[in-house]
Amino acid sequence: MKRILILVARGWQLGPSRTLPPSCRYYPSCSQYAIEALEKHGALKGGWMAFKRLMRCHPWGGHGHDPVP
Amino acid sequence: MDNRNLLLAFVLSVVLILGWEAGLRYFYPEAAITTQTPAKGKPADGATSAAAPAAAPGAGNLGGDAAVRPVDLKTALGGGNRVVIDTPRVTGSINLVGARIDDIELKDYRETVKKDSGPVHLFTPEGTPHQNFAEFGFVAGGQRQPSNALWQADGAKLTPSTPVTLSRTDANGLTYRVKFAIDADYMITATQSVTNAGAAPTVVQPFALIKRTSVVENAAPSVVHSGPIYSSDAVAAYDVSYACGWSLFSSCHDLTTDGTYSVKGNTDWVGFTDQYWFSALVPGSKNAGVEFRSLSGKLYRADVLYQPVTVGAGQTATQTTRLFAGAKESVLLDRYEDGGIAQFGAAISWGWFWFFEKPILWLLRHLNSLVGNFGFAIILLTVIIRGLMFPVAQKGFASMAAMKAVQPKMKEIQERFKDDKQRQQQEIMKLYKDEKVNPLSGCLPMLIQIPVFFALYKVLVLAIEMRHKPFILWIHDLSAPDPAHILNLFGLLDFTVPAGFLAIGPLAVLLGITMWLTFRLNPSAMDPVQQQMFAIMPWILMFVMAPFAAGLLLYWVTSNLLTVAQQSYLYSKHPQLKAANAAAEKQKAAKG
Repeated sequence: MKRILILVARGWQLGPSRTLPPSCRYYPSCSQYAIEALEKHGALKGGWMAFKRLMRCHPWGGHGHDPVP
Repeated sequence: MDNRNLLLAFVLSVVLILGWEAGLRYFYPEAAITTQTPAKGKPADGATSAAAPAAAPGAGNLGGDAAVRPVDLKTALGGGNRVVIDTPRVTGSINLVGARIDDIELKDYRETVKKDSGPVHLFTPEGTPHQNFAEFGFVAGGQRQPSNALWQADGAKLTPSTPVTLSRTDANGLTYRVKFAIDADYMITATQSVTNAGAAPTVVQPFALIKRTSVVENAAPSVVHSGPIYSSDAVAAYDVSYACGWSLFSSCHDLTTDGTYSVKGNTDWVGFTDQYWFSALVPGSKNAGVEFRSLSGKLYRADVLYQPVTVGAGQTATQTTRLFAGAKESVLLDRYEDGGIAQFGAAISWGWFWFFEKPILWLLRHLNSLVGNFGFAIILLTVIIRGLMFPVAQKGFASMAAMKAVQPKMKEIQERFKDDKQRQQQEIMKLYKDEKVNPLSGCLPMLIQIPVFFALYKVLVLAIEMRHKPFILWIHDLSAPDPAHILNLFGLLDFTVPAGFLAIGPLAVLLGITMWLTFRLNPSAMDPVQQQMFAIMPWILMFVMAPFAAGLLLYWVTSNLLTVAQQSYLYSKHPQLKAANAAAEKQKAAKG
């Protein structure tokens, strides 16, 4: 499951993300964050963390350096 | 490095074009809903052999059918022995030979988009090229009553207010009756009864079946489930097919190879579906034996065989079955579902994304009733969605204006970490944080628009509401690809453009141009590789999107135009940004 989710994030980075205007408010980017979170905390917790990060990733959310805890 | 990236981007784009269809199937397999994994059906013994009669009382299945000579539709319907069906939405007839409903025309739907094309002929008699019909019969004493028996009718016309009862009596003194009643839409209720006037008790099994060919005029797109379909124990299943295509995730039972497929559990309904049409039997009692069967000559059957009942002398046994034969209007199907037929709305294979597709369709329907044209309804939908996204863009421009103040520091960072992209990125992020500005809107606003687009794509394929619905000018069907083609100068040159890569219509070109405009007005800073990529993206997407439904392209074009308008408006609000953007353009032009 973890592998599949990482693959999805990786696929996003290689595909759609490259064709869209840069939009990252955070560093690392959401997809990079997701990959790191999944590797460090597993599918369930890591996935939840990645989801929460996505939910923060809008003009009224935070920005800046935000590494995986 | 940059060149390599560009090459990679180009290769990826080509892969995108070629892999689109495969990708759709990969990510959205049609059978995603069902979790059932029923056992393989029995091998094809007797499945294709002709006329195997049911063997013993309480027989497990109805056996095969004798082959029937081909016949054309006019001859088949002109043979007499028919009772007319006439309701507000349906015309047709009941065939007194075999107690079959084998002639149903849908008054509200035309065969093609042409104004003079006839109504959709959903049910046609056995032997006709697109044969599709329902039969109601009995197995008595282990013998399936012949399908060529002639029945007597007690009325001349089946209407919502006048039911018709067919009857016949066999040599053993058993009187069979089938009472047909029809509602104002597409539901027929058949009440089958047997009265035993003989001396000895007899074991009787009423049955109902739908038999049809898999040959259709217009094949359904691969994202739509077509073919055998059923719901059992309140779970709709799409895992039985005439013949299984390629699919990665979904389990698929190939009826042609397996011969038969038995439905486990209590069947809610069972039948066949096309992209827009649906015929199903709704068993009136539990524990009926339900089976799909493959017959020779691309013929398939869905059988509902009830449990045997012993009818004593002078006694009567009764069994009701409902038959749906009509269009898959989601509102109507949901109404039948609310009326107690579990999962009936799932006859439309919405897929796992139903919770978003149905609200989109609901909104489109209501917008349509407001403006009276589905094309304008789609435009309104776009306006609503872009309207919801407007604050995001506004906020972006506001913080971009604030950014102007920190521009010198930004320049400095870019210069200092020219060779270390990652470090540069980090430093910029730090700058944003220190100065409390950030011009980027984040990925969520963008991600939110993907489901809307995907839902609209599915709705345009699945919903009959948009079938044959015009927009303006040359677009007569929003659910079909743009009918005009550039290659033959919109029909001025006398040749048909082959479907596929080069079949681009004006809508697709509009899409390319409007997208190019939005990229040009895009305020975010991009590196040269991305610049180059953005220069080719619109034209690649033009080819990719051309074969999709006109309504989907209409949505995208409108969305692009609104983006351009929004950008222009915001630039006028922040004139200093406009000047900066123009300067950047000039610089770019000078460089390139």
